[in-house]
Amino acid sequence: MASSTALRELQRDLENKANDLSKLQKDIAKNHQVRKKYTIQLGENELVLKELELLNEDANVFKLIGPVLVKQDLAEARANVRKRIDYISAELKRLDATLQDLEDKQKSKQETVFKLQQKVQSFQAGKGKA
Amino acid sequence: MSSSKGIGIGGGVGGPKTTAPVATELDKLSVEQLRAVKEQADLEVNLLQDSLNNIRTATARLDIASNALNDLSLRPQGKKMLVPLTASLYVPGTLDDADKVLVDVGTGYFIEKTMVEGKDYCERKINLLKSNYDQLLEVATKKKSIADEVGIVLQAKLRQLTPSQ
Repeated sequence: MASSTALRELQRDLENKANDLSKLQKDIAKNHQVRKKYTIQLGENELVLKELELLNEDANVFKLIGPVLVKQDLAEARANVRKRIDYISAELKRLDATLQDLEDKQKSKQETVFKLQQKVQSFQAGKGKA
Repeated sequence: MSSSKGIGIGGGVGGPKTTAPVATELDKLSVEQLRAVKEQADLEVNLLQDSLNNIRTATARLDIASNALNDLSLRPQGKKMLVPLTASLYVPGTLDDADKVLVDVGTGYFIEKTMVEGKDYCERKINLLKSNYDQLLEVATKKKSIADEVGIVLQAKLRQLTPSQ
């Protein structure tokens, strides 16, 4: 009687921990997606910067803002792209740190779940023998 | 009920997040794990194939752009032409200076270039894409051979388990 309620408690605990684990995995997957998006943007901006730096000082640069092509100053355009590259790199670094943290949490949660599983199994085996 | 769930999660914990096990170790893996490895390798191969296709499409579009540029450079100034306003509406116009072209370099930036520079830009981009394509092809073929190897070992294992046939 007491042992079956203890078993049920263990199983409930196991379920909770398993849910936490799957939530962590979903967070990690989302982190990967955002990371991918930022990496693509970073690559594109670096290409643009390279093109802008190849230009003569008198070349015309335009930016597409909505449906309007607006003439931009070359120095200003370069500065803007550089700022964007810095911003994206900082975001990527922040995401990396978050990802590392999430992965560590996932590992420790996996160990907890595993140990709980073993406990449940040994409990059930013990009950079976009695 | 909870025990089967346990096996499912346990399999996931032991499951391979590893990249490529060495050929000798493949034999030591169970059928379940081999299947998981093969699935993951197949997934990666598919992803790489998609990327390869994307690069091929982009290269084709750049080629078309380059050809259009070449054609445009041959047209004289003042030539009558039809300008597309929408997909189904064209408006008559005359060709202005064909020596200046606006190049879309990405992230909403457009650069005015001369015809020569524009052609050079297309060439550069096409070469960049071609080298990316070659690199990717190398990686993709390697991954495919790994996936094939895993498949072979898996089939051998399966045949081992059912030798009566």
